[in-house]
This record gives sequence, C-alpha cells and structure tokens, in this order.
Amino acid sequence: MMKPVSLLGQGALATLMRKEQKMRKSAVVAMFGVAALTLVGCTTAEDTTSGSTTDNDTSSDSATSEDAVTGDIRVWINGGDTPDSAREYLIETFEAENPGSTLTIEQQDWGGLVEKLTTSMSGSDSPDLVEIGNTWAPGFTSAEAFMDLSPYFDELGGDDLLPGFVEVGTFDGTFYAPPYYAGSRLVFYSKSDFAEAGVEVPTTLTEYVEVAETLNSELGTSGVYFPGKDWYNALPYIWENGGEVAVNDGGTWDAQLSSASSIAGLELVKRAMDSSNAAKDGDEAESWVAYCEGGHSMLSAPSWAAGLLVPREDAPCERSADDLGVFALPGADGGAAQIFAGGSNLAIPQASQNPELALSAMKIMLSPEYQTIMGNNGLVPALTSLGDTLGEGEIPEAVSAAAANSKLTPASPNWADVEASGVLQDMFVKIASGEDIADAAATADAAIEDILNG
Amino acid sequence: MSLKQIVPSRKAKPQSRSRKNLGWLLLVPASAVLALVIGWPLINLIILSFQEFGRAQVFGADIEFIGFENYSNILTDDGFWQVLNRSLVFAAVVVVSTMVVGTLVALLMNFVPKRIKVLVQIGLLVAWAMPQLTAVIVWGWMFNTEYGVFNYLLSQIPGVDFYGHSWLSNPISFFGVAALIITWQSVPFVALTIYAGLTQIPKEMIEAAWLDGASGWQRFKDLTFPLLRPIFTIVIILQIIWDLRVFTQIYALQGLGGLREETNTLGVYIYLTSLGSGEFGLGGAIAVVMVVLMSAVSAFYIKRTLEDMDN
Amino acid sequence: MISKNRNLKIFAGSVAGIIVFLVSIFPVYWMLNTAFTPNGLTRRSEPLLFPSNFTWENFQTVLFDSDQTPFWPALINSLAITMLTVLFALAFAFLSSVALARFAFFGRKTFIVVLLFIQMIPGEAMIVSLYRQLDTWQLLNSIGGLTLVYVATVLPFTIWMLRGFVLGVPEELEHAAMIDGCTRVQAFRKITFPLLAPGLVATGVFGFIQAWNEFLLALVVNSRPEAMTLPVWLRTYQQVNNETDWAAIMAGSTLMTLPVLIFFVIVQSKMTSGLVAGAVKG
Repeated sequence: MMKPVSLLGQGALATLMRKEQKMRKSAVVAMFGVAALTLVGCTTAEDTTSGSTTDNDTSSDSATSEDAVTGDIRVWINGGDTPDSAREYLIETFEAENPGSTLTIEQQDWGGLVEKLTTSMSGSDSPDLVEIGNTWAPGFTSAEAFMDLSPYFDELGGDDLLPGFVEVGTFDGTFYAPPYYAGSRLVFYSKSDFAEAGVEVPTTLTEYVEVAETLNSELGTSGVYFPGKDWYNALPYIWENGGEVAVNDGGTWDAQLSSASSIAGLELVKRAMDSSNAAKDGDEAESWVAYCEGGHSMLSAPSWAAGLLVPREDAPCERSADDLGVFALPGADGGAAQIFAGGSNLAIPQASQNPELALSAMKIMLSPEYQTIMGNNGLVPALTSLGDTLGEGEIPEAVSAAAANSKLTPASPNWADVEASGVLQDMFVKIASGEDIADAAATADAAIEDILNG
Repeated sequence: MSLKQIVPSRKAKPQSRSRKNLGWLLLVPASAVLALVIGWPLINLIILSFQEFGRAQVFGADIEFIGFENYSNILTDDGFWQVLNRSLVFAAVVVVSTMVVGTLVALLMNFVPKRIKVLVQIGLLVAWAMPQLTAVIVWGWMFNTEYGVFNYLLSQIPGVDFYGHSWLSNPISFFGVAALIITWQSVPFVALTIYAGLTQIPKEMIEAAWLDGASGWQRFKDLTFPLLRPIFTIVIILQIIWDLRVFTQIYALQGLGGLREETNTLGVYIYLTSLGSGEFGLGGAIAVVMVVLMSAVSAFYIKRTLEDMDN
Repeated sequence: MISKNRNLKIFAGSVAGIIVFLVSIFPVYWMLNTAFTPNGLTRRSEPLLFPSNFTWENFQTVLFDSDQTPFWPALINSLAITMLTVLFALAFAFLSSVALARFAFFGRKTFIVVLLFIQMIPGEAMIVSLYRQLDTWQLLNSIGGLTLVYVATVLPFTIWMLRGFVLGVPEELEHAAMIDGCTRVQAFRKITFPLLAPGLVATGVFGFIQAWNEFLLALVVNSRPEAMTLPVWLRTYQQVNNETDWAAIMAGSTLMTLPVLIFFVIVQSKMTSGLVAGAVKG
C-alpha cells in the first residue's frame, strides 16, 4: 500500500486504498477464503474507548512517564488499510495486558499527514504511537523525532522483520521504526479480453507493453490503465531497464532519470501510457470502476483491489469474477519485476507521554497474532515468517512473487520532499502528454538533485 | 500630520485628554488579540527567516543563525522568481477581470428593472456564499476530464470535440480555470460594494449627464468614477492583497489535476517550503519577501486611501 | 428616439442580468444536481442535466455511513467556532472602529495602515509558530484555540469595514440626543447603535465566511478526529473518495454550503443596506 506523501494526498493509490474499506475487506476476506474472521464494527469499539478516554483524561494527563504504569495512549492509524478486526484485537489485547490503561485509535487521513506529524509530534499533544509511510520515515528519523528502539529490536521481531523496511526505519545505525505491513501490486486482467484480442499472459516487461498495445488497438480499451500521475507503477520500468531514480555517490545524490537505461524505461512507460485511455494528468484512483464498465483490459493495482474488480452486493460490475485473471508484473528477464514496495512503518514519537505503554502496544501490533490478521486481509505481514498467512491460490502466489522482488525509493531524509514536490508526477504527466522524454527527465533530475542535496 | 487634517473640520475642537485616552482604551481588546496571535508569531517568523530551521530543529536540534543566507538562497533561486512572476501575472489578471466584471455588474444592477436586479443580487449572494474549498471542488467536477459537464456541453457544438479534454494539465489552462473560479467568487463583493456606492449618487446628476448627451463611458469616466474613487481604491487594495495571497483555490485545484511544479503560486510555494518540506527558515524568508513585495505593490493605493480619509 | 433607444438598452441589460444570474448560480445548480443523482449515474460521458433520478442516498452516505469520518461533530465544531469568532470579532472591532472613527489621537493612521499590512502576511508561513503558541496556552484541539486565531485573522478587515459604517452615522445625531438630556453612552446606545446594526451584520458576514472556510490551520491544530472542523472534514472526504463518489462529494459540499446560504438569506436585506451605508464614506 502506498502513501502519497503529504499534502495533496493525490498519490492516487492512497485514495484508492482508502476507498470503500468495508467493502474491500469483506471482498478480500472472501477472496482469500478466510471466513472465520469476525468483523466488529469499529465505531462501537471506538465509542467505548473514547468514552473511557474522557473519564480518564485528568489522570492520564497528570501521569508522568516514570510512574505511568497506567495511562491512556493514542495511536494514529492511517487510512482504512488496518482491518477492523486488527483494531479490535489491538485494543482488547492492550487493555488486558495493561490493566487500567486505555488505548484509543485515532484514524488519520494520509493527506496532510506529514504536516500534522511535524507539528503534533513536536508539541505537548503528541500521539503515542504513529504509523508512517515507509518512504518518508527517513525524513523523521533523521530529525530525531522518534524514540530509539535499538534495545528492543529483537523483542519487536528482530531479523524476522521485513529487511527493506528495517533499513528505511534505521538512521545512522540507530533503529527507530519497525515495519508495520507492506503492500504489493499485481496486474489484473480480463481473460475474455485476452481471448478476444488473441494475446497470452506476457512473460517479460516488453511483451507486457506489446500485449497492452495489441489490446488497445484490437479492442479500443485501455490496454493497461495508466494515468499520467501514476508514478508508483512507472518505477518498475526504470528499474527493469537498469535505471535508477537517484544514486548516492559519496554523499551526494546523483539523479539518474536521464541516464540511457532510465530513458529506455521511460520510453516503455510512454508506450504503455499510450495504450491507455486514462486522463494524461489523472491519478489511478478510479481504476476499478472503469474496469468494471469494460473500459480497461489490464490494470496494475494493490493486491486487495481484487475484491473491487468483481460484481459486489451494491456495486454492479459488467465483468464476472471468473473473467478476472492476475499475474505479477513481469520483469525484463522473465521473472517478476522489481516493484515499488509501498507500506508503513511504526514509530513512537519522542514527545510521547507514555512511551512504555506505546512500546507495549507496538509489540502487540508486531506480534504473530496481529500480523496474521493483517496477512489474512491481504496485506504483506511485517514478519517474513508469516508470508503464508496470505493464503493459497493465484493471488497470494502472485503477491509473494511480487513482494519478494520489491524495491524502495532512495533512502534519503529528503526523499519525502521529492514526493511532496510532485516532481515525479509532473514528469510522467509530461511524458504521457507527449513532451520530449529526455527533456522531461532532465528537468526532473535537476529538481530531484536540488531537493536531495539541498 | 496636524489634528486639523485628521479630523473633519466640524469636529475640530480641542479634545480633552481623557477623550484621547478613551480612544486608545477602545483599541485595547483588538490590539491585544492582534499582538498575541499575529504580532508574536510574526516576530518569530522574522527571527526564523535568519535561522537554519528545518524539521530537525522542530524536534529539538540546535538552532543556528545564518544571517541572510535564507534570503540569498531565495533570491538566487530561479524557481522562486518563476513562482513570483507567475503569482504577479496571475494576480494582475484576476484583479483586472474581477474589477471589470464587478463594475459592469454593478452598473448593470443600477440600470435594469427591479425584478432583474433582485435576480442578479440573488445570483451574486449564492456565488458569494459558497465556501472556497467547496467552490473549487464543484468547479473541478464541472471541468472533470472524463465526466465534466463542460466537456459535454462544449462537445454539443457541431464540429467541436472536447470529450476527454484535460483542462488542468496545461498550466495556462490551469490558471484560466483558477482565474475563473476566483473571479466568480470575488465579483459579488466588488459588484455589491460598487453598486452600494452607485445608489448614493443623486439621480439628478445622472439625469443631467444623460441630457447633456454624455455617452455611457463618458458618464462613468467623468461622473461615476471620480465620485466613487475611494470605494474603488479600497476594493482594489483588498483584491490585490487577496489575489496575491491566494492559497486555498490553487492548492485544492492542484489536488484535482495539473503539474504542481508549474502551477505553484507564492502562497502554495511558502506552504510547500515550510510545512511540506520542513524548511521553515526558508519559508519564513519567502514570507517576509512576499510581505515587502505586497506593500510595494499596494503602496500607491494605500497612500491614496489615507489621502481620501483626510477629505 | 432616445426613449426607444433606452428601452432597447434596458432590454439588453435585462438579458445581460439574466446571464449574470445564470452564470452565478450554475455551479451551485450543478452541485445540487449531482448531489441528488444516484452515484452510479454521475459518471457518464453524457451527464444528466436534471436530477431526474432524484435520490437522497448520497446525503445518507455522507451523514450516516459509519466508515467515513463523521459529519456531525465537525458541523458542531465549525458552528461553535464560527459563531464565537463572529461574536468576538464584532465586539472588538466595534470598539476599535468607534475609536478610529470618532476619536482623534496620535497613531490613528498608523493603526489603520497596520490593519492593512496584517492582511498581507501569508498565514501559511506562520502555522508552526501559531501551533506552538496554542500549545503553550493549552489550546490545541479546542474550540477556543481556533476561535482565538480566527478572531485575530478577521479583525483587521472587520475593523476597517466597520469604521466605514460608524463614519456613516452622523455624530450630530448623538449631539442632538445629548442636548435632549441623554448621556453620551445613552445617546450612543439609542441613536448610533441601531443605525449601525446593518453594518454589524454586513461585517459579521465576512467573519462568518472566513472562519467557516479556513482549513489549513484547522487541519494541523485540531488534529484529533473529534476536534475536526467542517472544511477539514470535507477535504478528507473529498480525498478519500476523489473521483469515485462524486455524488457523495457534492452532497458533502452542499452540506457545507448550506449553513452559509441560510445565514446569507437571513441577513440578506440587512447586508445590502449595510454595504450601502458603508460605501458612503468608504
């Protein structure tokens, strides 16, 4: 799952993700064949806690961290990705393990969250435990906004934690932010469209683009749905062609988008975008609606989107469930492509009034039980040993294949600013609109170097 | 300035000391709030603009004074000048269009039968009442690439095909939409204020001008405008300030589409620099530059207003 | 000849007036049209120009769907903050405007220039300073905190505008009343104040709109979900549902516009007459 950094929250996927969580959940649960989950309405759970919060307000405010065996902690969970059952489990387990204490989940929206985190975590009203987008973790760890968790590394999962996320949550050798969950992207397609256009599931990235072009010219649909702002989905093209966004060259960041390899990737992106009927400056938020209307033959989306691409109780879909096929985006060499690893990390703000309790809550969230709930709901668990909780079948296998080969954006404290500036989105919109690729890449390179080295 | 200048002659009698003090006393509540909520943060902002103050400093790192470095960084940054030029041009366009349309609508209201006038007033009030954010969302929906009503309506014209046209991806077109939204929202204030002024001009003067055979433009130029000059002046000042500062509309519109890098205006740029990127010192410096700039742009009109006050 | 010409002009003017009316209300109409159309029918290349499949379901979604951020607390917060802002801003501005219009003292002009100057400061740059200030005063996530900031934000313009209205009431009337035996305060209360009422209303409208609209500071300062204001709610709602549920977004927009419209309808007649009075002296 992806976080649009910050501001506009127009990083697309977030929008997609946040949408229709309930529907998605039930759909995904069904997809993964996990029927035993009891979904408890989160409003009830929150009502109970917020009630007790008010009662305990005075006591918790006066309690300092030293004598705070009890207290009320506030946990910021972002968007609707965390399933209700996990929230319920967290509250119940926490309050059982810490009698007299309460835990309140305050759901935050991804849009404007960097701003809120910056101000709130520096004030007296800081939340005690926060979920942050993995790509902007360095922006906060480098500013020493979080509590040092190095001593608890093993207790929190140790080497079982997703390695890429541990890396991004570590700054200068200090471990601040363990992973929470990871997302994975898959390519969904319509089997009947493939049959009609006479194409097969592609095995390399180039073939994939060719299939998209064929679908577009034969059927008039979006070969692959690919709006201009969808940079998350565009990164694999660069990586698979041997390109990079930026590399660290002895302490200075060198943006690589206009390197020959990256340009080759961008040219492929351009071809894929040309096969799409999506808005050249649109984001990918609405992809499944048009898919259901028969407008797209393929689309690349988070794994849980599967539940939205079939007929649902209150949302008609012209495509049947049997028609939906799925595969991991193929790489240049035939294996799975390196995809962008979206996801979240957890952290305890320095300003937390109850760090011990927050740590206790964090341990619960990284416990096998909790992470199993995440896995059962289609999210890649933070603990690598729980990979099989995703279930069996076409989709989980594709998820595992994709997740195994995921890659992160440059690990710079300033990377969040690159996302916030919208420079990548701007570049891809230009490319989609037919501007010169080399020019667009050169402009973006200059802007990225400026921010990363600034 | 002499007392004579400040106070109109009919009131120009010596004032007792207690009365002067009462004047000050009445200003206390407002001044206190302004000093606390604007004054103090403003001082902070100015100090900040001379500091290296990033996200790390927000979380307690040592703060370092760096003199004019933030300022020199800004003034040597091409990006800043582009944003500045863009903001100035955009504000100029919006101020002119708002004033022209607003004045025309005001003259229109003064001229049409009562029933039509009431209709126009209702329309203006409705447009005025719509919250900024709502307005951008609604206009954005009307200009939506795939499902927008404008693309549909334009495509009904024979030979025109606007289906799938993206209004926000081209920066010029983006600002066209933004200017339209802001003008639409600002015209009511301008039109109603000027109209209110127009109703104060004695009918006889207008009639006399009619009989003299003065054309519409001459009547406006020689009669209406001079009489209403104070109103025009203050309305222009306010429009300049508001349009140069524009934030919400651009920020929200960028969320709906468009190239962000090429559509940032000063307000959005400051926001992105300070809260977005965590460069608070730099953002502070840009803000200070912006205030200086606005004072310069509106100095002429402010002087005018102060002169008008004396008469 | 002249009168025929004039009739023609009036006709042309009326047509122009009707066009102004239509252009002004079309976005509002379109908002309502979409808000009352089932979501499934809003995303068509051939939009429905009239709400022919009239439905309340979008409003139900917005108001009662438990998966979304709740609307009611945000409405209550916004109403409370806006009302208090208008109240305090008017009270403080009234005192100041009387001082500026009725009293001559050193620094009067400076004060007026400062009022204009304050409006030039970009608030986006001061958010962190303000946040810390409110934190020190323990006013985060409260009604009082935002109210305080909004009062300060609207005060400069409110004072400026109200000053015009006070100038519009001839002081001679007060003098006359004082000759009739009223004290100065009585004279003010009985003569000037009633004459000023439209001005207060017109000025209040500005405070109302500004406080009702502000969202950036509200987003950061009132970060707890239960302290959210309406613009933040709408923004969140729009971001979560962008391009997927335009009907519900339009319903949400309608709900946010409605209180302002109601307020405008109530004060409408007063407001225009207030503007007239204020314009006399600029």
